[in-house]
Amino acid sequence: MIARSLAGIHPRPRGRETSLLLLAAVALLTGWLSLATTQAGRLSAGDPGLLVIYLAAAGVIHVLFVITGRRTDQVLFPAVVLLGGISLLFMARLPPSLVTQDAGPAGVLTLAPLQLVWLLLSLSIIAGLAIVVRNDTWLRNYKYSWAAAGVTLLLLVFLFGDEVNGVRLMLRVGPIVGQPSELLKVILVVFLAGYLAENRALLAGTSLRVGPLDLPPLAYLLPMLAMWGIALAVVVVQRDLGAALLFFAVFLGLLYVATQRTSFVALGLLLAAVGSVFLYAVEPTVQVRVAIWLDPFAQALGSGFQIVRGLYAFGRGGLVGTGLGAGLPSPDGTLAVPALHTDYVFAGLAEELGAAGAIALIGLYLVIAERGLRIAARGADDFRALLAAGLTLVLVLQAALIMAGDLKLVPLTGVTLPFVAYGGSSLLGSGICVGLLMALSDAGVEAPAPPQALTRGERWRARGRGVAGRVERAVR
Amino acid sequence: MSAFEILVWILRLGFLGLLYLFLAVLARGLLRDLRGATARTTRAAGVLVVMAAPAGAPPVGATMALETITTIGRDADNVVVLDDAFASTHHARLTFRGRVWYLEDLGSTNGTRLNGRPVEGVVAVGFGDEIAVGETRFRLEPASA
Repeated sequence: MIARSLAGIHPRPRGRETSLLLLAAVALLTGWLSLATTQAGRLSAGDPGLLVIYLAAAGVIHVLFVITGRRTDQVLFPAVVLLGGISLLFMARLPPSLVTQDAGPAGVLTLAPLQLVWLLLSLSIIAGLAIVVRNDTWLRNYKYSWAAAGVTLLLLVFLFGDEVNGVRLMLRVGPIVGQPSELLKVILVVFLAGYLAENRALLAGTSLRVGPLDLPPLAYLLPMLAMWGIALAVVVVQRDLGAALLFFAVFLGLLYVATQRTSFVALGLLLAAVGSVFLYAVEPTVQVRVAIWLDPFAQALGSGFQIVRGLYAFGRGGLVGTGLGAGLPSPDGTLAVPALHTDYVFAGLAEELGAAGAIALIGLYLVIAERGLRIAARGADDFRALLAAGLTLVLVLQAALIMAGDLKLVPLTGVTLPFVAYGGSSLLGSGICVGLLMALSDAGVEAPAPPQALTRGERWRARGRGVAGRVERAVR
Repeated sequence: MSAFEILVWILRLGFLGLLYLFLAVLARGLLRDLRGATARTTRAAGVLVVMAAPAGAPPVGATMALETITTIGRDADNVVVLDDAFASTHHARLTFRGRVWYLEDLGSTNGTRLNGRPVEGVVAVGFGDEIAVGETRFRLEPASA
């Protein structure tokens, strides 16, 4: 088995990736030099151990890509490496005691080393998926199982989740604390891609006419209403506005991609508007969020403190920023902006790298968007196209939501900036997205077998697939 | 301005400059890709590679670009014309709908097989699948560069 799969491997040079990675490495090393020099007050490289480990890991993964010789996208990985590197630079600049984790024999890890660990895990996930995944049947055929797993995960958080700052997001399993919504978004995309790919033709048909709207048969609208309900439930029970908004936006985006019907989007926006008014009426959290978005200065020392400080950070940054390490100091360990390493990482980077740096960051996310949508456009069939489009939407919409939130363009929602914000769950979830995108970008991926009657052996194996198979049959 | 300040400025602007260099290199490649993509839009969505042909026409290993509706058979009005005594005049049809190739048998005498199994009705064909018409066998492949 192993010998056979090794026989099919032919190394293939990836020149574009090599040069982009080298460029990213040079940029990051320059950034490190700039940071260390500013901090030391003289020309200094500081202790570049973290960055060197990170770049070495990226190099090793690149070599693995070359050796295994798959024709995957050559731009996504360098772009992600650069984003992660910027994150590492910024975490190394923040007070190390911000986050600490007892790592047993390795001692107590502080902010930057922890982020390095998560970044390395994330890059390994990308590498693993991009090299190993050659077949998408396990995603395609088990969409209802994935949906069931997602709902279970959601229920677990509802029941056993820990509340942090009044938001119930975290799930604790032994010593590991995770944010399941990061995993949930990937599962959601897999389910939606599977569902829409199967029912695309039916959804695009018209049988109901409500005023100016042409609607598909009512039964096929049910998942849409269910999605709306789940989004509302997420807000009410978890008070997690960001995840709810992201889920619904990705859902609408995919629905449009699949059917090209603006009436769906209009209907979805209408539902979202109704839901928002309802939530505003019943949820005090939402009222506060909207109030401090409209006028943070009314509560400048209270609930609007974070937004006000964030806006000042953008202002201090100006055009080219204060320089890495020269932003507003945090003398006694308190940050200039609360949650500077997570929700407000964009404001922090904009302060030290300026508008120029912030726009470069947006540019990097645009690159990811372009690559992802290109992979989607080249997808061999509906499922792959929708999956790639959905994964791209998740990454990019999330980045847009939090960047716009930091800039006070939309009410602040607590989603993370993919690959830049501190946090393990977010890095792993985003890593899965990019890894799958890279796997999908390989034109040589086996196409699914045409639907055929099962042979006896296959039927036996299908029966043996246990729970997953049973769930699929139950739903049908 | 002291020498140190100048140094810090060089490093700061250098970092930003390199970030933009990275983006510029990407943008150049991206534009090249886009131009390539528009040039390729007229290309066929798939090709048939001849795996085996009894009479040697078409030759083994030949690739044939497919049209959106590709008919296969012995008659000269087919898109893919076979010199195969076991093929019917209008034997089978490949159609490209959405993003998927579909294969159907056109009531041929000896039938059409997909991966060795007889085709009944319309079936989806994936890239890499083997289509057998008479004694001629093809493999469907994506039309890569």
